[in-house]
Amino acid sequence: MLFASRSFCCLGIRPSQLGTDLLSRSRKLSASATMAFRHKNTRRIEGLDSNIWVEFTKMAADPSIVNLGQGLPDISPPSYVKEELAKAAAVDRLNQYTRGFGHPSLVKALSQVYERVCGRKIDPLTDILVTVGAYGSLFSTIQALIEEGDEVIIIEPFYDCYEPMVRMAGAKPVFIPLRYKNGGNSVSSSDWVLDPAELANKFNSKTKAIILNTPHNPIGKVFTREELQVIADLCIKHDTLCISDEVYEWLVYKGHKHIKIATLPGMWERTVTIGSAGKTYSVTGWKLGWSIGPQNLIKHLQVVHQNTLYTCPTPLQEALAQAFWIDYKRMDDPDCYFYSLSRELESKRDRMAQLLQGAGLQPVIPDGGYFMIVDVSTLNVDLSDVDEKQPYDYKFVKWMITSKKLSAIPLSAFCGPETKRQFEKYIRFCFIKKDSTLDAADVILKNWNKQTA
Amino acid sequence: NFLSLSLQAKMSRPVQAQRLEGIDKNIWVEFVKLAATYSTVNLGQGFPDFPPPDFLTEAAARALGGENHMLHQYTRAFGHPPLVKVLAQFFSKLLGRDLDPMTNVMVTVGAYQALFCCFQAFVDEGDEVIIIEPFFDCYEPMVKMAGGLPVFVPLRPQAPKDGKLMSSADWQLDPAELASKFSEQTKAIVLNSPNNPLGKVFSRGELQLIADLCVKHDVLCISDEVYEWLVYDGKEHIRIASLRGMWDRTVIIGSAGKTFSVTGWKVGWTVGPNRLLQHLRTVHQNSVYHCATVAQDAVAQGFQRELELYGKPESYFIQFPKELQQKRDWLVQSLDAVGMKPIVPEGTYFLVADISEFKSDVPDVPDSDEPYDSRFAKWMVKNKGLATIPLSSFFCGAHKNNYSHFIRFCFAKEEATLKAASDILQKWKQEKTGP
Repeated sequence: MLFASRSFCCLGIRPSQLGTDLLSRSRKLSASATMAFRHKNTRRIEGLDSNIWVEFTKMAADPSIVNLGQGLPDISPPSYVKEELAKAAAVDRLNQYTRGFGHPSLVKALSQVYERVCGRKIDPLTDILVTVGAYGSLFSTIQALIEEGDEVIIIEPFYDCYEPMVRMAGAKPVFIPLRYKNGGNSVSSSDWVLDPAELANKFNSKTKAIILNTPHNPIGKVFTREELQVIADLCIKHDTLCISDEVYEWLVYKGHKHIKIATLPGMWERTVTIGSAGKTYSVTGWKLGWSIGPQNLIKHLQVVHQNTLYTCPTPLQEALAQAFWIDYKRMDDPDCYFYSLSRELESKRDRMAQLLQGAGLQPVIPDGGYFMIVDVSTLNVDLSDVDEKQPYDYKFVKWMITSKKLSAIPLSAFCGPETKRQFEKYIRFCFIKKDSTLDAADVILKNWNKQTA
Repeated sequence: NFLSLSLQAKMSRPVQAQRLEGIDKNIWVEFVKLAATYSTVNLGQGFPDFPPPDFLTEAAARALGGENHMLHQYTRAFGHPPLVKVLAQFFSKLLGRDLDPMTNVMVTVGAYQALFCCFQAFVDEGDEVIIIEPFFDCYEPMVKMAGGLPVFVPLRPQAPKDGKLMSSADWQLDPAELASKFSEQTKAIVLNSPNNPLGKVFSRGELQLIADLCVKHDVLCISDEVYEWLVYDGKEHIRIASLRGMWDRTVIIGSAGKTFSVTGWKVGWTVGPNRLLQHLRTVHQNSVYHCATVAQDAVAQGFQRELELYGKPESYFIQFPKELQQKRDWLVQSLDAVGMKPIVPEGTYFLVADISEFKSDVPDVPDSDEPYDSRFAKWMVKNKGLATIPLSSFFCGAHKNNYSHFIRFCFAKEEATLKAASDILQKWKQEKTGP
């Protein structure tokens, strides 16, 4: 700035005032330059700022759009679930803090339900942690057990948060794709399989954990006992942990059974199993989930929890506990919500498949969960003039939202960098929607060809 | 062979991540259990034992009783639109600044999670974070979990004016000592005003001191203001973000739990410049992502009401501190009457008292690992049924024995509870003074 004031001097301009201005401005500039450096984000979140949902939920928020994108029910939760929350909200002491690791009546209810399912004793105080959604369980598990130098195997396509959470913990994600094995005329989620040799190759001495998601989002695959045994054998051989995301555990359709990998021999002691109230009771906005496992693993999740948010909301936990008691008592009864929701969704699944087939598409029929993926390349929508940097499915979904008023989620959001090309012709539809929503989708799909012609 | 060697190496390593080292202990787990087991009168953990205001529970009931079942589904991840909108309006007013609800506000699962997001977003391995003692206990383990180094600076008690009871205002920072804590490695300072556990409400001068150092050393300020409405004797809660040069480097943290007496709802928020909040959003979207919807909706309605009644006598933000001040004064009197010397808090619903005159009941144990006040508090809950929290809980390991004879009382309690506490103390005093 001294240089500048000298030049101004030469031009006959008195530098003193200008110099002061320049001086103070450059001081501010250098101060803000230091400020810019200091106030940078930490290394652990570098590159983790973008998020598919922030982008696509905003686009689909317009009420004129038929939203089959984000996995959120527009059907009502069962009335007794809503009633239990209204009841809990009216009890004074439930407006204050409860036990940090989980409200006593809730962990008790969870232990009863899962003792029945797993066929083993589960201590409500030491083997369970209640978290803010299954999302919070994934975070607590990964922060507790994964660190720099670790590798974590992630099966593609994967629920998108697994990768950034593993990276935030300083570890390296190692991807392995599900591959479509031609099984015949109709395409089912069970046609998507892991190659056992390829999987075995991914394990090494650095492999700390594998993340399993069954029933699987987005494909809807329900891993068979044999498939789980392959994974279990490798976990035992390499002393690897298993993080088992089973949020869709009750949503399994005819002919298929949800099996908990933690119940296979040698697996309980190395598995954290994650569940979700949002998916179990169609109350995603309650944001309650849980981690269940052996004390020697859960205790570390509890340490993370006590240093991150300490306790989950009380009234919601109490209401959930009461809902669980109601359904626990009728677990032998087909009217139990765990089974009735599944039946309701199976018919929606079948309807969704029909709608897509009617539009000339061949969806992958899911064996579980409430998502359905479909290859849209057969529609031959030319998007080459659109910004090339985005994968085809991103461009397709954005085009579909604006021109067809129908939203879905692009599948390449659920893949690692190597497989984006493989999956970019698929999009994901969510079918846990009320009849009128599916009717509206029907109209759009029926008119699809008319409009493009 | 190679495989079994590396397997053995893996099996001999602890299963948990290193970031958990030294942060597994937690005072609350132990003391909450003791209170649950032994106490007849619980003035320990900080939560009200009276109901939240009617207008808030009614708002929750309306939300739940209404036709809109979508309140049971996900809302906007960074904060339910009605809530961030009213928070932006409210804080725009308080800070004299135009705030954007989408970028200057983020909702969290209690103020606790807001703190977590701040440390994770800004504290890297080796960064120093200044913490003022005594401090809300989670600051230290959260800094450690982020790989940071906590640097402690104490509030020191000055002698109160003749004949007067000590006030939280008498606990002060030494300016030179504070300045000496700032180094090249200092990333942030955590400010908690009104302060838990002392109840200190930092004055403008004290805040200016801190602000000047933040600006000079280009340090962030994480400002925990959860007790912002609980200030007494006509004192003013001053927001450090409103001091010159501070908005750009401060994250303000607030809590519905403390604001509206609903600690169990776990709704908190952060307010600050977008360039800081963007990083909190990144942590949030990779850790919890969404906060529960219904409670956010009800809190939004609560704030709407307070916005309309701001400054008016019916405002909860005016009525509630009035009620609490009475309770404070009542407890101060009860403690003073029996010889426990209270430090009169200027804010919060906590009060610290010197229990030296009751030491004879709990003899000193030389070479004990446990601080005296902790043993005293445990003895008192087991033998007198009165639950409190030892002040050493709010000091770092090295300083736990600096103030060995203080305990913290929570006075956000029904009259009956406070009276019962007083009865226990009176009876105890009578036993000591003998027949």
